[in-house]
Amino acid sequence: MTDLQLWISALEIGSFYGLIALCYLIVYQGALVFNFAIGGYAMMAGIATSWLATEQGAPVWLAMLFGVVLCVGSSVLTEMVVVRPMVRRSGHDELPKLIAVTAVLFALEQGAGAVFGRGSMPGQWLFDIEPIEMGEAVLDGAALQMFVVTGVVFALVAFWLNATRAGRMLRAAGDNPVAAQVLGLPTDRIRLTAFFVAGVIAAIAGIVFALKSGITFRSALPWSIKGFLAAVIGGTGGAWAPLVGGLLLGAIEVFVPFYLGGASVDYVILLLAAVFFVVRPQGFFARRIRV
Amino acid sequence: MNALVRRAPLRSRGSVLPQILWAVAGMIAVVLWVGGSGYRQDLMVLSCSYALVGLGMYIPFIMGGSLSAAYSAYAAIGAYTVCIVAVRTSWPLPMAWILGPLVACAVAVLLGMATRRLSGNYLVAVTLLFGFAFQTWTIDASGITGGSSGMLGIRKLEIAGWQVSRQGLFVGSLVVVCSVAFLIERLRLSPWGIALRGKREIPLAVESTGIPVPALELVSLGFGAAVAALGGALFSGYNGGIHPETFGLNILFLAVFMPLVGGVGTPWGAVVGAVLAVQFSLNFPSSIAKSGSFAFAVAVMLVLLLAPKGVLGYLALLRDRMRRRRSDGSAAAGGKQS
Repeated sequence: MTDLQLWISALEIGSFYGLIALCYLIVYQGALVFNFAIGGYAMMAGIATSWLATEQGAPVWLAMLFGVVLCVGSSVLTEMVVVRPMVRRSGHDELPKLIAVTAVLFALEQGAGAVFGRGSMPGQWLFDIEPIEMGEAVLDGAALQMFVVTGVVFALVAFWLNATRAGRMLRAAGDNPVAAQVLGLPTDRIRLTAFFVAGVIAAIAGIVFALKSGITFRSALPWSIKGFLAAVIGGTGGAWAPLVGGLLLGAIEVFVPFYLGGASVDYVILLLAAVFFVVRPQGFFARRIRV
Repeated sequence: MNALVRRAPLRSRGSVLPQILWAVAGMIAVVLWVGGSGYRQDLMVLSCSYALVGLGMYIPFIMGGSLSAAYSAYAAIGAYTVCIVAVRTSWPLPMAWILGPLVACAVAVLLGMATRRLSGNYLVAVTLLFGFAFQTWTIDASGITGGSSGMLGIRKLEIAGWQVSRQGLFVGSLVVVCSVAFLIERLRLSPWGIALRGKREIPLAVESTGIPVPALELVSLGFGAAVAALGGALFSGYNGGIHPETFGLNILFLAVFMPLVGGVGTPWGAVVGAVLAVQFSLNFPSSIAKSGSFAFAVAVMLVLLLAPKGVLGYLALLRDRMRRRRSDGSAAAGGKQS
């Protein structure tokens, strides 16, 4: 585990999972839903950007704007059209909401496949970043961009959650939705805000991560499930918790195949999830509330 | 969803004969529709295979309320068992059709025991990861499963010296699907089914009547997996092979959505949903054929949001309304009940 190149790769994948997990956390705090469609939003942003830039020849910034708008739009629409009626109809029952967001994920996946094609597409650069040599390892532009973006996004979200009015309302709604409603907090608006912010982060994550190994419409489900895992491992204890879960998962995904062979990573992750969910379902960081 | 589940037991007790008549009529209609067309026959066998996967999902998911996402793996187990027995042993092939569901049942029970403390999202995540891991294994263990190229050209099914043709398998699969759906419908109305559906709503109440809920859940998971494996066996038996991608994650989405689209009030909904899924994704007019799966996905969304009772649920509603109108007309005086 001393190979710097592997560590760079682990950090890059881990940062991406951390960002997706952060989306889960924000939506969970605002709406008490594990939104499995998040991988779908990120995939949508990445694939729409690549499609507009490579197949339609649009300028990259315009393509990225299109990807972000599509992604945030899907997220906000999910809240307005799917989650809101579900909450009205079945309250905080878990299964109907889970099935509904899974249907959104399926529709996003198939929609992206139908509109943007089923082939793999390369990611898009906004700036050309020269790779940096670090001894025997090389820090390429994609990884550097991912690190910077992850740092900035997490710092902003931490500030937003802890120091702003909207962030505090979000946490209040997540801690106790009934009490929040009774106190007159605008729970509908809070939920919408959560989905909006998660959509923006998913868009950024999807577009930046597409640079690493391209993107297809099939990326949606694996991203969703890995992001969920990272979110659960990290826990809901704070804004930085998802990053810890993501980095751990990223390290597993890079080092396990390196030492134990390619197929083993799926077995190890299955085992990890099964054990972790039973032993510590609240994650590494959980907020303790004294009642 | 709940309204239909609650509505059922006593009222539809007597509907055995109409059900059989509908099933026979449906089978005849399908055979007539297929005619001599090989393509349509392929579509219908695929529908039957999907229908079995959906029916398998129906038992623990719609009746029991626990969503296990390992159904791609169960179907694959059934399919691979047929292929492995056909290629690597000289055992009679019908054995493989029994062995596959048994293996899937055992795997489901073991997985159910390992995940017995999980529910909701956590259960879905772990079983989904099991599906991933199983698919990886089918590609990785090439000595057993044929690896990434899968297994092709397996020998034909022979029952007591009679070689079953593709037509024979097609008709047989229709009979099997209808029998399984009928069986599950009877099971749904049996005391066991009522206990299982009770568990879905209020587990504690079921436990307090003396029925061990964990055992109930394991039996439902095992039974569902066996039915799904039969669907997989049908697929590989009919097509003479299997590929690791055949029962990928797409089938999982379909397995969840087929019963919902068709209607959750009866297992026949899974059958209707399977036919719709196959027609949507493979038999769409050529101008929009590329987006067939997308059309099905949109249909799923519409059903979930606007018509949670599914196709059969609405047909039943329509039938009830027409009946009521007829009886209102004939006996207007004594019809008021409170």
